[in-house]
Amino acid sequence: MMSRKRHSFLLVFIFLITMASQALAQVNFGGEPHTKLKLIPEVTSVQPGGSFWVAARLSMEEGWHIYWRNPGDTGLETEIVWDLPEGFKAGELQWPYPEKIIEDPLVVYGFHDVIYLLTRIDVDKSVKPGKTVEIKAKANFLECAEVCIPGEGADAVTLPVKAEPPRPDTRWVEVFAEARSKLPLKATDWQISASRKANELLIRLNPPQWFTFPFKEVTFFPYKMGFIDNIAPQKIVKENGSYLLKIKLADNAEVPSEIEGILVNEDGWRGPGSEKSLEIKAVLGEALAPAAGGGGKLSSVWLAILFSFLGGIILNLMPCVLPVLSIKIMGIINQAHDEHTEPWKHGAVFTLGVLVSFLVLAGILLILKAGGAQLGWGFQLQEPLFLTFLAAFMFVFGLSMFGVFEIGTSLTTVEGKVQPKRSGFAASFVSGILATIVATPCTAPFMGSALGFALAQPAWVSLIVFTFLGLGMAFPFMLISSIPALLRYIPKPGRWMESLKQFMGFLLVATVIWLLWVLGIQAGATAVIIVLFDLLITALGAWVYGRWGNLAMPPKTRRTAMVIALILVLGSNGYVFANLDQYAVTPQAEAASSEGIPWQEFSQEKVDELVAAGKPVFIDFTAAWCLSCQVNDRVAFSDETVQKTFRNKKITAFKADWTSRDEHIAQALAKFGRNSVPLYVLYPGGNKNEPMLLPEIITPGIVLDALELVK
Amino acid sequence: MIRRKISAGNLILGAVLLAAALAMALEVNKPAPDFTLTDHQGKTHSLSQYKGKYVVLEWINFDCPFVRKHYGSGNMQALQKEYTKKGVVWLSVCSSAPGKQGHFDAKEITKRLAEAGGAQTAYLIDAEGKVGRLYGAKTTPHMFIIDPEGKLIYNGAIDSIRSTDKDDIKKAENYVRTVLDAVLNGKEVKPFTTVPYGCSVKY
Repeated sequence: MMSRKRHSFLLVFIFLITMASQALAQVNFGGEPHTKLKLIPEVTSVQPGGSFWVAARLSMEEGWHIYWRNPGDTGLETEIVWDLPEGFKAGELQWPYPEKIIEDPLVVYGFHDVIYLLTRIDVDKSVKPGKTVEIKAKANFLECAEVCIPGEGADAVTLPVKAEPPRPDTRWVEVFAEARSKLPLKATDWQISASRKANELLIRLNPPQWFTFPFKEVTFFPYKMGFIDNIAPQKIVKENGSYLLKIKLADNAEVPSEIEGILVNEDGWRGPGSEKSLEIKAVLGEALAPAAGGGGKLSSVWLAILFSFLGGIILNLMPCVLPVLSIKIMGIINQAHDEHTEPWKHGAVFTLGVLVSFLVLAGILLILKAGGAQLGWGFQLQEPLFLTFLAAFMFVFGLSMFGVFEIGTSLTTVEGKVQPKRSGFAASFVSGILATIVATPCTAPFMGSALGFALAQPAWVSLIVFTFLGLGMAFPFMLISSIPALLRYIPKPGRWMESLKQFMGFLLVATVIWLLWVLGIQAGATAVIIVLFDLLITALGAWVYGRWGNLAMPPKTRRTAMVIALILVLGSNGYVFANLDQYAVTPQAEAASSEGIPWQEFSQEKVDELVAAGKPVFIDFTAAWCLSCQVNDRVAFSDETVQKTFRNKKITAFKADWTSRDEHIAQALAKFGRNSVPLYVLYPGGNKNEPMLLPEIITPGIVLDALELVK
Repeated sequence: MIRRKISAGNLILGAVLLAAALAMALEVNKPAPDFTLTDHQGKTHSLSQYKGKYVVLEWINFDCPFVRKHYGSGNMQALQKEYTKKGVVWLSVCSSAPGKQGHFDAKEITKRLAEAGGAQTAYLIDAEGKVGRLYGAKTTPHMFIIDPEGKLIYNGAIDSIRSTDKDDIKKAENYVRTVLDAVLNGKEVKPFTTVPYGCSVKY
């Protein structure tokens, strides 16, 4: 009896204490916290001597935020305090990049909704398998909406200790993949340097060579509190090939000698859709590292100008430009005998036409590139329809050279008619444009890489290069038309002009063959045959027009001829344009053998076999939901040198796609002590043939360095 | 029409000036700007009237957990008692806008001060936030110390440990104490600045 009484007394006592402490909590903290903690281990068991990751999930009610490691102008750093069993050791907390939360006039760095704070926990070898351990943690945070409340949360999970490598908990793989994608990149090919100038912190960012993506805005979040002016907008300035970030310092700031923090780039540090934050550590130097690119160097700009001018002159000898130009020159020769003041003016207008169309083309390219499109000079040649159109155009042009028909007899000066001044200039201008348009496809194989380089330079350099290319192309024409003495060296018009014209026609047909060859690579043999038929019918149309549509025929015949010619030309070309897709073969099967890395589906048996035989093997563990994997694929494995090295060294490449979770792949991952993707494994071959793991973030350089090991 | 244009212009100019004032935290070793405010009992106080004395300005918001840390533990009141006794003027300034956290009517302030046992010289109401912005007060608490010549000699945090935990008070270095103990004992103190911590001032 006695004991029961005491027991109930105890209960009441406990009840009272609970009530009191709750009331106290109400007074102090305003009730339950608005932020909840949950611990999520990545694995289902732990292994002595191994390690595993745990996510501390903090979910906040709407409108509430908690703070990053540097809280900004006010607030408090969120803390996770671990309570671990004997033999377990927690590593450093991995912070995702924060948001800038503006509470005018203050700015704080923190998080809304939900965050996952990852921590690696190491398990000592001495821990005995067979038992279950409890992983406990407490979160201390300051949560704020309009007002701020300090709060805390606690959670615990239990995990069995097993001798075997841990397996991932399949419920959480995507959560971990996403959480990792928000962690700052620790290593990068970007060159970062920092210096101070008066009340500004300057951070220079030199991109790696392969980085050709849009880059607009960057925000620096320092690890150390209080030395930058958090609310002042940070300015990014593009200078030549690199970028300069200007950050206003706080008044009376104590600037640390080493600048540590993260840079957040909404466009991604490895191209669109890639990791947005990058951890940096830069000693505050006297001067910044020199800007990258070299494009800004005066000497190389002069060199570019010289080469583009010379290149422009050479362009005139291209089989597609020469005919256009020669017609124009003949026109000038004819005119030269009528009026002596005109030729140079025509030359100037022609030059203008060339320049305007070059700059328009370059402008379009630059705009498209700024918009993020991956284009190079001659990009239009990647489009089979454009190739077909160009081939038909050149062919018709060539037929006219052969004399099958005359182009716009009333417009050209070939027949020696004296033109009214205006239309004469207009024709010169148009022929300038025409010359440029037909010249573009010719420049692609000839100067493609050089122009590609020019396009990677700052816009003003690209525009200068294109201007001088145009000037170079117009130069011989300008020269001939402006120096009457030179005109005298050109023979008087006569039969030789007709012969030259016909010869030029052959050059045009040669260009057509080249275009069809390119088309053949892109779309296959059937497509080429279809286009050849199209050209045949187009030629028939041209012949009908030339034979019965010329001025010597009665008007009725002319009209009928024109209609028939139009039906033939438009009909056949229209058919090809609408249906080319059906005949085009996607050359993937072909490409796999000659280009790209021939990936095979992952199979443990095949890998074992090859490894045992001392053959080099590469395994790419990836998944569609893994952001870093996708970016790695795009950045590293699409690089030509990497692809070539894979082929030359005869490395068997396996792709283990973990998009839908596969037990065999999970086992293979566990073998390497991993339970997440990406993972890159290289067996370099040879007698030992031991696996080597590549970092999770790879670039062409990293992969190539690793492949060096393969003999 | 013209008048409206001018007033819009004034508005923009005002906003620019305000932004400039906010961006410029008050510099130490320079004269502290004068101001006049009314306390909760209706009495006016201006900085200039306390020339010849050390003045402490403390930004306050009774409902902010950081302020509660220092009042709940009795730390702030102890400082106020100790130094007002030594002739220091201690002015608590509340810049919370009406309707925002920390803004109270005179009756509530009297009650809160009595509860806390506050020993400041005066509790000043800056509901428009003019003085807060003039001084660039960021947080509650945010401390300023002005010497007898009217020069600002300290601008920053109450102490060295950012937290809401009362247990940290003993472990931390209290900067107000550091400065006042030195100057009151006739020692030279190089004016300095720290990063204040607390809730944002509810302007």
